[in-house]
Amino acid sequence: MTTRSVSPATKVFREPAVEPRTRAPRQRRRTLPLRRLLAPYVFVLPFVLVFLAFSVYPLFFTLRLSFTDWHGSGAAHWIGFDNYRYLLTSSGFWSTLGNSGVLWLLIVPAQMVLAVLVAVLLNAIKRLRGFYRVAFVVPFVTPLVAVAQIWIVLFDQDNGAVNAMLGAVGLPPVGWLVTSGWAKPTLALLFLWKTTGFVVLIVLSGLQQIDRGLYEAASLDGAGRMRQLWSITVPLLRRSLMFSLVLQTLAVFQMFAEPYVVTKGGPYTSTTTAGLYLYNHITRADLGTGAANSFLLVIVVMAVSLLFVRLLRAED
Amino acid sequence: MTALGVRQRKPRPLLGSHAFLLVLTVALLAPVVWAILSSFKPAGEIIRNPLGFDPATFTLANFRGMFQDVPIGSGFLNTGIVLVAKGAITMLCAPLAAYAFAKYRFAGRNLIFGTVLLTLMLPTIVLVIPLLLEMKELGWVNTYQALILPGSVDAFAIFWMRQVIAAVPDELLDAARVDGCGEFGIFWRVVVPAIRPGLAGLGVLTIMNIYNDFVWPVVAASSSRMATLQVVLSTLAQNISGNRVDADYATVTGELLAAASIALVPLLILFIVLQKHFINGILAGSVKG
Repeated sequence: MTTRSVSPATKVFREPAVEPRTRAPRQRRRTLPLRRLLAPYVFVLPFVLVFLAFSVYPLFFTLRLSFTDWHGSGAAHWIGFDNYRYLLTSSGFWSTLGNSGVLWLLIVPAQMVLAVLVAVLLNAIKRLRGFYRVAFVVPFVTPLVAVAQIWIVLFDQDNGAVNAMLGAVGLPPVGWLVTSGWAKPTLALLFLWKTTGFVVLIVLSGLQQIDRGLYEAASLDGAGRMRQLWSITVPLLRRSLMFSLVLQTLAVFQMFAEPYVVTKGGPYTSTTTAGLYLYNHITRADLGTGAANSFLLVIVVMAVSLLFVRLLRAED
Repeated sequence: MTALGVRQRKPRPLLGSHAFLLVLTVALLAPVVWAILSSFKPAGEIIRNPLGFDPATFTLANFRGMFQDVPIGSGFLNTGIVLVAKGAITMLCAPLAAYAFAKYRFAGRNLIFGTVLLTLMLPTIVLVIPLLLEMKELGWVNTYQALILPGSVDAFAIFWMRQVIAAVPDELLDAARVDGCGEFGIFWRVVVPAIRPGLAGLGVLTIMNIYNDFVWPVVAASSSRMATLQVVLSTLAQNISGNRVDADYATVTGELLAAASIALVPLLILFIVLQKHFINGILAGSVKG
């Protein structure tokens, strides 16, 4: 285990002791690594072919497209950075990015706190543990479109079950999906409901790798439960948290199907996410602008992700 | 020590934990349970009395209406075909490539893996425009190829499997080599058995992703003949949210819930049967400390 950093290929050369000094090894050494040198290329080939055709090629195509005014037919004209300039000065781009930003704020911090809390509790209890784990994964396995449909019916202003419950305790009905103020929180709730279980599992796997002895040592030193959580659990969960943080940030900024099915981006444009805005360019055959929008979104998402990676690394 | 009261206080937080977890569990299960129960209610009752359930009024009318209004049968069939073909490609290509990335050094490894990570960061929709154009070029619009091939080996599957395979000790591989095992033999006889939980996790994740996929099928398979289950479902939802003052509002609502219930049941069953593998698979694939 200690020689982990040495790759298998170099290891062969570095361990002459294993092969006693005979005349033969020289030849065998040559033929053995050759097969081993070729093997990885054979293994990655099927993947690389599909990946080149349906991921890398379209990626470069989009990059080129983003500098043209192409609308899906006829000739494409090279227009330089005009699409980018247009988007960066248009209110539509910024307001949809803002919508995604607000959704991020509504979703991700709450989700991280909730996931750590639930994972720590699940790790501490013994009874009913399996039952809770199953319950937390149920939303994750339900199809998004089905959840979106359930949300439409549940949160209907006039006939929905949620307003019926509010009415039962004497509260006035809320226009969950039809008012600009409530549409975002209602969508955020859908997202939280759908994905928190997955984050719980990721955090749980991080928790299971923490050495129990650390807690025993800490409690001998008189550290309370909260102190242990803050000084041992959270720092050691850093990798899991970073992983989930980046994953969920990507997901929130790419959010498309939820607003597409539930609110169609409305009321007005209050739930038009960055992802949905991108889709709208495509449906209007405004392909050059759509492509440019894609890359601006990638830049934003990468910047945010790298920021998290940096922030969490900085604490080392 | 006991004087500090630490031992005596212990049962209390546990009780609190259970209360907290139970409340969350109810909140998580409620929408699904509510949708399934409501789909068996007369359409008018779902609207008039959304909270109650009277077993005496049990009806299959919503399901009958839904089967008449949308081609849900062909939706299931299309999803099934795509699921088998795309799932097979993913399960064959991803672990093998991930094994090469995790355990071999070769020229171009970092370049290829870097590209994989880059596409992991790309919004899925970024590739929709060029992929659609590519499909048009190939004459694949509204074909199974179009639904199956793009995304059949996505960046996430590679990334996930590499995590899993990296945890297999190198000593195990070297021991197999000493025993005269070929390079592919090592993958097949040593690595695959060692990563079974991770493979199961990938399998269930893949099935879920394909079953739930929505964005690409909406674009690539716009004809109703090729529509997958999720696309069929979304057209129902369009009826209801697009036209709020529909005279048949109650009927559409009932059919919507019937459709949602029928769509979530197969995966729920699959998950409940395979839950142990699924959860262990995710635990195996997540980041190692």
